[in-house]
Amino acid sequence: MKKRIRHGTYMMLPAMIFAIAMIVVPLVYVCVLSLHKWNGSIKVPMEFVGLQNFIKLPTIVGFGDMIKFTFIFAFSVTILTVLIALVIAFALDKPAYRCHVNRSLLRACWYIPALFGAVAVGVVWRIMYNYNNGVINSILTMLGLPKVNWLETRGVTGVAVIIAQVWVQMGMCIIIFLAGLQSVPHELYEAATIDGASRWQQRVKIAIPMLAPSITINFITTSIAAFKCYELPYTISKGLPGYSTHLVTQMIQEYAFEGLNYGVSSALSVLLIVIITIIQLIQLVVLRRREDVY
Amino acid sequence: MKKKILHFLYEAVLLIATLIILLPIFYFAISAFKLREDILFYPLKMTARMFTLDNFVVAYSKMKFFEAMSNTAFITFGSLIITVVFSSMAGFAMARVAARRFTLSYSFMVTLMVVPFIGCVVPLVVIMNRIGLYNSLWSCLLIQAGWNLPFATFLYTGFMKSLPKELEEAAVIDGCSLFGTYFRIFLPLQVPVTATCCIRCGIGVWNDYLVSASFLNSSKSPTLMVSVKKFFGQYVNEYGQSFAAVVMCSIPIVVLFLFLQKYFIKGIAAGAVKG
Repeated sequence: MKKRIRHGTYMMLPAMIFAIAMIVVPLVYVCVLSLHKWNGSIKVPMEFVGLQNFIKLPTIVGFGDMIKFTFIFAFSVTILTVLIALVIAFALDKPAYRCHVNRSLLRACWYIPALFGAVAVGVVWRIMYNYNNGVINSILTMLGLPKVNWLETRGVTGVAVIIAQVWVQMGMCIIIFLAGLQSVPHELYEAATIDGASRWQQRVKIAIPMLAPSITINFITTSIAAFKCYELPYTISKGLPGYSTHLVTQMIQEYAFEGLNYGVSSALSVLLIVIITIIQLIQLVVLRRREDVY
Repeated sequence: MKKKILHFLYEAVLLIATLIILLPIFYFAISAFKLREDILFYPLKMTARMFTLDNFVVAYSKMKFFEAMSNTAFITFGSLIITVVFSSMAGFAMARVAARRFTLSYSFMVTLMVVPFIGCVVPLVVIMNRIGLYNSLWSCLLIQAGWNLPFATFLYTGFMKSLPKELEEAAVIDGCSLFGTYFRIFLPLQVPVTATCCIRCGIGVWNDYLVSASFLNSSKSPTLMVSVKKFFGQYVNEYGQSFAAVVMCSIPIVVLFLFLQKYFIKGIAAGAVKG
């Protein structure tokens, strides 16, 4: 038995060491860097400044706008994605009646947007949002609606970015919901039908409570992805106009590679990591408790 | 009768919603074959007259497509090999050996899945600079492999736990070591989970922009997404060519998806069901 454990440890070690070297070491290092002032050059020594980088954060240009948009973006993307995915998953689930459209084909269609790289999707949406030549504005004109300046209006640009992100993330949520729906035992529906419950009641009273774990997972994965997301919003709006569509991730990149201010960039990274951790904890506690109720 | 009409309406709404979702894909896929004027004046139409391959030819040479593709393929396959080998061994040990340290390591690995990569870009750049791998494809390969490990280990552990205990009992009684049981009994059983893992992690690496943009010189060793971005930055008004570039990068993934749908879906659902 001891030998077994020892051998098992040998098998586990490469992965553990590798993960520690690639993930944990940088994670610790970023915390160290956030306490220093440094421009990234090897010749210049790091200068210890304590918590100054963090104290300075609220005063850097565009910080307020950035924080506001990061949260609006993450919350609206998460809620919209999960809600739409839930509705669509119900629609795509095997219906009780004979259906005319092949369901597995439809499911594949809803997943296709998630296959493309974030940058590729960003390029496509940016062209579509173009004021004079974009297809979205031509469709609006065709329908007799006024054109919208998607990329240069405060507020509207945020909506544009959120729409694109929801479009990308939906597929994954739908698949998770569908997997959850398929694991609901069929007897429950049958019993409900015998008791005279309508299809709507069955959904609300049986399917949604049984989906609780999937809902938790979807909320968690979608919100992590929304906080982490960088390429898509950056390609679509470049954070413009002003700082109104800046995300914290974009600011990290800008401070590190354009401003060569590694200290502030690391402080922002620490902020992001803390935000993500806190939100995960809250969601886990709140959503798990709700799972227990049922 | 009333019910039938209702069902029909319901299906129609679903179908229309699906078409709306697919509209952007339809738009860029047909626009890649059209000239600029046609894209602007007939955005959603496609006739035989408009068909041209010029966009692809131009995009192919201007974005150094072949080079970018081979770099991306190198990073993707290299990192997948490391990820699969390491995580399948680790997953086996974590699922099949009963000791406290394995459960602890498993929870540690699962926690690492939450860490945002973008938060660690700066220190990783510094580290890669120090060990002299900055600007080399190997830095991307190692980073991708390392950051995919937690999810892959999670996947393999879940799969190994679902296999029945009797599988290895006979082998253990006959005196087969842990390595022996792994290689002789479990390795052949891992094919489906390996496919799932490769597809899920492979898409991420193939479509990656952040890692290659931060660690590689975009003109010396471009990867696909970096060159698409750069190409679009230089020729903002060449819609057709940008679309052609996007189409060329995405074709391998879309074709894979069409053939291996089952594994794709499994890969997504796997993370969820046992979460």
